[in-house]
Amino acid sequence: MDLDYLQMLMGEEEVVVEEKGEGYRNIWVVAERAGDELVPVTLEMLNQARQLASTLGAYVMAVLLGGDEALAQELIYYGADKVFLCDDPALKDYALEPYAKALGDLFAEKMPEIVLFGAADVGSELAPRLARRLGTIVLTNCTGLTLDAAQRTLVCTMPAYGGEYSEVVAFSPEVHPQMVTVRPGAFGRPYRDEYRSAEVETVAVDLDGVQPRVKVLNVVAQVEREPVPLDKARIIVSAGRGMGDAEGFALVEKLAAALGGEVAGSRGAVDEGWIDEEKQVGMGGVTVRPDLYIACGISGAIQHYLGMEEAKFVVAVNADENAPILKVADVGIVGDAKEVIPAIIEALGA
Amino acid sequence: MRIIVPIRQILDPRGFTVSPRHERIFINREEYIINPNDKNALEVALSLKDAGEAEVIVIAGGQARLDDALREAMAMGADAAYLLTDEVLAKTDAAGVAEALARGIEKIGDFDLIVVGQETLDTADAQLGPWLAEYLGVAQVGGVRQASISDGVLRVRRNWGAGYAEVEVALPALLTVASGANKPRYPHGGRIMAAYREWQVITWNSEDLGLTAADLAPLTQGRGRAFPPERTLGERLTGSPQDVAAELVQQLRLRRII
Ligand SMILES: Cc1cc2nc3c(=O)[nH]c(=O)nc-3n(C[C@H](O)[C@H](O)[C@H](O)COP(=O)(O)OP(=O)(O)OC[C@H]3O[C@@H](n4cnc5c(N)ncnc54)[C@H](O)[C@@H]3O)c2cc1C
Repeated sequence: MDLDYLQMLMGEEEVVVEEKGEGYRNIWVVAERAGDELVPVTLEMLNQARQLASTLGAYVMAVLLGGDEALAQELIYYGADKVFLCDDPALKDYALEPYAKALGDLFAEKMPEIVLFGAADVGSELAPRLARRLGTIVLTNCTGLTLDAAQRTLVCTMPAYGGEYSEVVAFSPEVHPQMVTVRPGAFGRPYRDEYRSAEVETVAVDLDGVQPRVKVLNVVAQVEREPVPLDKARIIVSAGRGMGDAEGFALVEKLAAALGGEVAGSRGAVDEGWIDEEKQVGMGGVTVRPDLYIACGISGAIQHYLGMEEAKFVVAVNADENAPILKVADVGIVGDAKEVIPAIIEALGA
Repeated sequence: MRIIVPIRQILDPRGFTVSPRHERIFINREEYIINPNDKNALEVALSLKDAGEAEVIVIAGGQARLDDALREAMAMGADAAYLLTDEVLAKTDAAGVAEALARGIEKIGDFDLIVVGQETLDTADAQLGPWLAEYLGVAQVGGVRQASISDGVLRVRRNWGAGYAEVEVALPALLTVASGANKPRYPHGGRIMAAYREWQVITWNSEDLGLTAADLAPLTQGRGRAFPPERTLGERLTGSPQDVAAELVQQLRLRRII
């Protein structure tokens, strides 16, 4: 396996690996977990790493700090070719200094070619810190990762001005390792393949003299999200009479929650008593300008349309292929909203 | 107590329009503003100053036009400003700017706290804060929303998962402040004239910082821009609910809507 080759390379004195960048191999994914679960961006990174790995002819290595064997197995099911598990009790809860030490030592020894971190709480703090420690840099919040095969460098897409457009930047060939943070949600999730099997190597970490410098006093797991007024909401999921009943309406609420958006409705939904009148979109209600408006079981009468025509992107789910809303939607789905909405929630991974 | 706040500048988004059809940005008015998230950082520093004895120093590295941003920061309440600029510094990338800022901060010296905006609006660059903390060898807290100090101990509320965490850290330390963490104050009427006409911005060049052009050679290569697909009304997705759902989610992600 390639690892042996790497060890051989590193073992031979006359091979100057540092200066030339030779000996830097494989794509590493730094798994991020919340308690004993992997955060979604970890799986998304594995998915993208697999694709890059096949182009590069490299392995996907995952490193898991403070987790256990079962979680390491999950990383394999989702695409890792090998997992390095640092299960030192001092790494159970996240603290920057021990985490940075463990990863810094591991990377100095293993010399990864590419390292992916999640642009979540932990990855965002650790990645630039490690980049500096290893004498390299990190490109952050990437939403696209491709390869410049000729140069063997990563080409990264980073959203500019909240996604109005993107900047595309490549690492210079002399940068090793190439480190990035990956924006959550940018890549799809891989298939969980329980037939995949691979090695889990437990690595000891030397945390002598390393003390966390930040003391956690208390953690509040969930804050009640303040409802955003509809006219300022970025994402709105809106229900119409076509949702059928209160149960159907609840699906719309669930989709809104999954997207971090607000719930609204047509007059039809208000008349059915599923939602308050102040949440009615249209001529007789609120005018909205979200980035995304998802109309579920709404016919799209002119009085409704006038309240949402300035939405930047409209999705409509409607059973009737001739419904007016489908003509003004960027993306129309003809089908039963009670089947389509649960499928969307599922696809979002929420 | 000495607090240092790095300031970056971005092209004012109100002065340009993005055309996905032409795959271009049309600049109508080329003006630069302080990176909004850096104003959140400055606000955290200034509110610590309001609460006690503190000197707030702003520092910027790169192009000469940053002078303007530093003066605005002084008008908002910063006490002193340092600008790191010359031809070499003007041409480096974010990594080079970080290197220059680290040297500049070391040269100012004796700091207790560094407060950095978590990311830039124009390139989503979130490297600077933790990178500086490592360079300077200080403790660091990310995703900060609020901070207060008593008896030399900094107490911070930071974003954590879907909620938040309350943490304590001894000084010296570095905080990266979450975007939108607060509402930055406006420049103070009485300070505006003085900031732009009287007060000094101390300028250092790459030589002052002990940096050569080779140290500041860019580590990245720009490869242009990518634009979201153009809007086309009336597209229909067909297939099973699972297929259309997967296609929809992919499209929304591709367009950076979700
Ligand atoms: C003066 C005036 C002001 C008005 N102001 C407003 C206003 O502010 N806002 C507003 O919304 N309306 C307003 N209206 C009412 C408007 O004309 C429409 O009657 C109303 O918008 C219809 O609501 P709806 O689309 O939910 O219901 P319907 O018109 O009944 O449409 C239901 C839709 O759901 C679809 N459907 C059915 N079953 C399913 C399923 N299982 N899956 C998917 N789709 C399904 C159907 O094909 C249909 O298109 C106003 C009317 C007047 C006269």
